[in-house]
Amino acid sequence: MEVNLKGLVDSSQDIGVPGGDELLEFSEALIGNDSKRLNNARFDLEKQLGPDAIPAASAIAANFSKNDRIANGCGIPVDDIMLKATKDIREELNLDSFRSAANTFRHL
Amino acid sequence: MGLYSDSKYLIKEEIETVHKDHFLDFAVAGTWGNSEQRIAIASFAREVGISAGLLEETPNTFAHESNFKLSKVAKLVVEKLAISPKDILKDFFDEVINTGLSEEEYVEIVGIVSRIVDMDIFARGINHPLIAFPEPGVSPPSKVRPETAKLELAWVSTIPNFPEGGLPAKQLFGEKPPKPYIVRGLSLVPDEVTKHMELEKAQYQPLGNIMNFDLRHHKGLSRAQVEVVAGKVSALNECFY
Repeated sequence: MEVNLKGLVDSSQDIGVPGGDELLEFSEALIGNDSKRLNNARFDLEKQLGPDAIPAASAIAANFSKNDRIANGCGIPVDDIMLKATKDIREELNLDSFRSAANTFRHL
Repeated sequence: MGLYSDSKYLIKEEIETVHKDHFLDFAVAGTWGNSEQRIAIASFAREVGISAGLLEETPNTFAHESNFKLSKVAKLVVEKLAISPKDILKDFFDEVINTGLSEEEYVEIVGIVSRIVDMDIFARGINHPLIAFPEPGVSPPSKVRPETAKLELAWVSTIPNFPEGGLPAKQLFGEKPPKPYIVRGLSLVPDEVTKHMELEKAQYQPLGNIMNFDLRHHKGLSRAQVEVVAGKVSALNECFY
């Protein structure tokens, strides 16, 4: 299965996984501030991938909400091995423009 | 009775058990804050989340009435972490440390807020009321700083990997392989690393399986689908890590 990572930052792109549109919409709605949008996204995701997808996607979104706060809150840099391995992806998705990238680049 | 046994969705027992333990743990003193302070931090994170529309208020949302008041600087850190993690920059960290919050207290607040946001987002995702806080306990915080913690490349001091990190590293991370900063970031407060990894194991996957693409930790999603959710959330939070 080929995942199109550009779909993470560009909604016009097909992410390339079953239920991808519904997963992306649910993820965005879950950490957003529109409860009606979240209810619709939950309904659509369940319809597309079944009821087990709801706690699974919620657990992942919640876990990475935690990790993002730990990373940004502690100002941790990306470890060397990961920095080298993700060079192409970072360029493709323009991740280097995130302000938290400074926590890594200030050491280079 | 499990925390989420009244949910219309089937929740993994491992998640339910870990979340229950973490809520009960708020009734116990931490390393730098007592139970009342820790519950006040978590409750304020909820309060600002509700004000920002990121959570819905449900019965028993907030901690029980208390005479304890969070300091202005602690509230500032909690608010920023809870509702706008992408806006936490080095200048902000320097400012709050210069205002009087200790590095150790700051790290414990990051751990507490990250965990309560995690568990509240999970509840919101499955359309479940927020879990009530326990009554605070009375034990004092231990206030023990790991002896090998030092400034490495993060803003906060961390325990280096073994062998440089000595016994604290061996106990917390094991001898090898070396652990990345996402594991070590909170290590100035070792108990927060343990709790962070408990959630990681239950909600994402057991540590050490990142390259095991055949592992299916959740019944409802393939590994590719899991990474789509993870990547989207981190992109929205502008987390470079």
